[in-house]
Amino acid sequence: MKRVVEGSEAVAEAVRLARVNVISAYPITPQTHIVEFLSEYCANGTMDARFLRVESEHSALAALIGTATTGVRSFTATSGQGLALMHELLHWTSGARLPIVMAEVNRALAPGWNIWVDQTDSLAQRDTGWIQLYCEDSQEVLDTIIQAYRLGELVDLPVMVVLDAFFLSHTYEPVDVPDQKLVDDYLPSWEPKFQLDTEKPCAFGPLVTPAFYMEMRHAIAGAMEDALEVFPRVEDEFEKIFDRRYGEIEAVSCNDAEIILVTSGTATSTSRLVVENLRAKGEKVGLLKIKLFRPFPVELVRKVLAPAKKVAVIDRNFSFGASGIFAQEIRAALCNTMKHPPVFGYVAGIGGRDVTADVIEDIYRRAKASDFPEGESVWVGLQEN
Amino acid sequence: MAKGKEMMGPPSILIPCSYISTESNKTGAWRFLRPRYEEKTSPCSAACPAGEDIGRIEMLATQGLFKEAWETILWENPFPGVCGRVCYHPCERACNRGEFDEAIAIHTIERFLSDTAARNDFKPVLERLPARKEKIAIIGSGPGGLAGAYFLALLGYGCDVFESMPEPGGVLRWGIPSYRLPLSALRNDVSQIESQGVRIYTGRRITRDLLEDMYGTYDGVFVCCGHSASRSLGIPGENLKGVTNGLDFLRRVREGEIPSVEGLSVIIGGGNTAVDVARSVIRFGGKALIAYRRRRQDMPAFEDEVAMLLDEGVELRELVAPITITEESGEYVLTLGSMKVAGEDTDGRARVERDGDTTEEIRVKRVFKAIGEVAAESWFEPPEKGTDIKILNTCVMVNRPDHPAVVFGGDLTAGFKSVVNAVASGKEAAIALDIVFRKGLDSVDEGLADCMVGDGPAHSMEIHMKGERYKRSSHIVPYEEINTDYFSFTQGITQPRLLRDERLTSFEEVDLKISASVAMRESERCFNCGLCNQCDNCYIYCPDMSVVHDSSIQGRHVDYDYCKGCGICVVECPRNAMSLEEED
Repeated sequence: MKRVVEGSEAVAEAVRLARVNVISAYPITPQTHIVEFLSEYCANGTMDARFLRVESEHSALAALIGTATTGVRSFTATSGQGLALMHELLHWTSGARLPIVMAEVNRALAPGWNIWVDQTDSLAQRDTGWIQLYCEDSQEVLDTIIQAYRLGELVDLPVMVVLDAFFLSHTYEPVDVPDQKLVDDYLPSWEPKFQLDTEKPCAFGPLVTPAFYMEMRHAIAGAMEDALEVFPRVEDEFEKIFDRRYGEIEAVSCNDAEIILVTSGTATSTSRLVVENLRAKGEKVGLLKIKLFRPFPVELVRKVLAPAKKVAVIDRNFSFGASGIFAQEIRAALCNTMKHPPVFGYVAGIGGRDVTADVIEDIYRRAKASDFPEGESVWVGLQEN
Repeated sequence: MAKGKEMMGPPSILIPCSYISTESNKTGAWRFLRPRYEEKTSPCSAACPAGEDIGRIEMLATQGLFKEAWETILWENPFPGVCGRVCYHPCERACNRGEFDEAIAIHTIERFLSDTAARNDFKPVLERLPARKEKIAIIGSGPGGLAGAYFLALLGYGCDVFESMPEPGGVLRWGIPSYRLPLSALRNDVSQIESQGVRIYTGRRITRDLLEDMYGTYDGVFVCCGHSASRSLGIPGENLKGVTNGLDFLRRVREGEIPSVEGLSVIIGGGNTAVDVARSVIRFGGKALIAYRRRRQDMPAFEDEVAMLLDEGVELRELVAPITITEESGEYVLTLGSMKVAGEDTDGRARVERDGDTTEEIRVKRVFKAIGEVAAESWFEPPEKGTDIKILNTCVMVNRPDHPAVVFGGDLTAGFKSVVNAVASGKEAAIALDIVFRKGLDSVDEGLADCMVGDGPAHSMEIHMKGERYKRSSHIVPYEEINTDYFSFTQGITQPRLLRDERLTSFEEVDLKISASVAMRESERCFNCGLCNQCDNCYIYCPDMSVVHDSSIQGRHVDYDYCKGCGICVVECPRNAMSLEEED
């Protein structure tokens, strides 16, 4: 049924439909509405789930590591500093191979305190062994959370579904909230490959010597590779029932494009409009949306970008001392191909600043005007002194 | 979870997981901080002159262990029935709960426990030391003398108490009206004291010669005969027939006399005796006026008593002092001079002086003096100087060669005159004599310091006799050390009382009893500062399962093989009954 819902409610509805058993989260703007919806669902019986109240994000994820080890479907949501506080346990979750799903509302890191969108919080966690999926609108958020359980439980890895602060979390959009029966058909109950058994107690996470540790890490690397294989199947099945799919990446007007813009999150929607307008003016521009960031779909990205003359990556994040993080990933994906276009890195919209159509068009014009990148990163829209 | 059972055995994916016991990994070696059970001193018990173990008393009362709670009072104070009624309860002013919501009504619970013991005819089982050969004579059967005799009896000494009046109790028997202290309450406490082997000889006024005789027959003498002679007003007309001693009036009432009090009586003074006389006059149908040289807030009388006094219709005149009393056709004219505040005394009360020449005259039927008492005989007083004199906290000890040890105590030596201070003095005398007999005179100071509650000045018999309380730290737990997350705001008890009209016509006890459920609810509010009440938070919160239950009195111990010293147990202890210290 189509309903006009807030992005946060779309998350909560997906969690309900996924028949999650345990939710543990600590409120933080802009994630708070998600937690509020879910705690109400638990309180009023809309969901047959336990809501564990905790004193921090660290504890929230620690609690879920416990619940997921007992074999029950577990969910959390956080933002910015909250995710930073979870860092240690992010590693723990993947190392323990627990398919916990998290909604991560991108928020800028302090100081100075800033509650607005910025992807640095989630991208800073790229090496923790979590699958990361960046969403563009509320429908995608809802669908991706349901898919995340399917994907995570197939490869035994945790999944982070990422959405922009306010532009998604607090914006109302029409969203198709599917029937429970359809979701049940799509998402079977989780059959864990191991679980805590009090009849046969064991310690999880004991000391692992160099003789074994490397194999365990290699297994996680393998699971990430599996996820690349599994993801399209997860989408196939989803499409069969719900008639929607998103792709690991989405290429828009890229076939004959000379310059391809690369985006993620809500900046993609604006870029679609810009590309359409520029095309109408005869500009040979294309757009590549990255949804699956971990595992990074290297082959797919190469295939789309290799034929272009230039690639312009718009990063709403920054790795200090390096460059925008998507730009790094794109460069890394391309560098081992024999012939590849130069990658222009642009940083825009940091800390919630608007990435307007004018900003995107300006980026396109700058990339077009220069034969080679002016630098590893060009910050767009900085205030003049 | 039927599926879970089938999946028993090693996981089918590679995860760090071990079926081997981790017990061999003694994580206690990581510890640099060491938690331990260490009970501390509650502020109420340190504030109680008798050093009652109040935190523990409330804990036992909460559990419905009324006899044990009563016995815990008796360790330190043989007068729970009396003190539950007439003590000025400094404990409640020190109560940490007072900073949270309202202080615990400690005195109300003490009275409840004593009434319950009397109603059920409880026979206390008290710790006592083996009998000794020394015999002690005690002069005076007031609270100080009887307390001294009682504690000496528990310490193994034979005790004879000599009392000039026909019944024991001193000021408790003859000086406090029955609406505050019913005879039955006093008699219950006294008979409990006697049941410990104390012999009381009434009607035996001690003379100087008799005292000399005692030095030959007893190994020690405790002189605690109180102050019974009235202080002088030092004004013209003081010796007129209608000017009498307030304490004498109270005694006559307690002897059963129904005095004639028609017309206006003026009571001069601001202590409890003044208030007692005024309220008694009112009950006999007279009119009463209290003339006090300072202000209401400076009155030594208990605040509650003053409030009820005013409610009962007694007039209070502040900042007036008597100048003369004259007789005029069967009545008296009392001339009062105005006073003014001229600074503050060391105790915080106003210092007053005459305010010009302003005077006023009041026609009255009689005047009662209630400005305090002094020793009836000068030889009751301890000698003031000499190398053989040892000045203790509330007593004076005299040790002459070839002479039994003599201790002067109670009102004779105490700085503050109240029942519980007399009990404290009796206890100090008993412990001091015990140390003299067991270890010699030189050990008295050290021995008394060893059994102090907190920083003193109160002494504890339980500590002196090396009971469980001996193990406690003397650290007094302040409010900041209570983990108030574990307590919710709860209203304290309201003392039920006779209505004003009921009070005016009888000498029935004003404060009514409370039910066991009310008493338990009130005692449950107690933080039990510094004491373990077996709440088991340490066990529940220990992340290493290193708090282990056992059969010790503590009920649990820390397993240092695995305790990492995180300190959570100490933080989550609501009442600071644990300590965290750096490892050596």
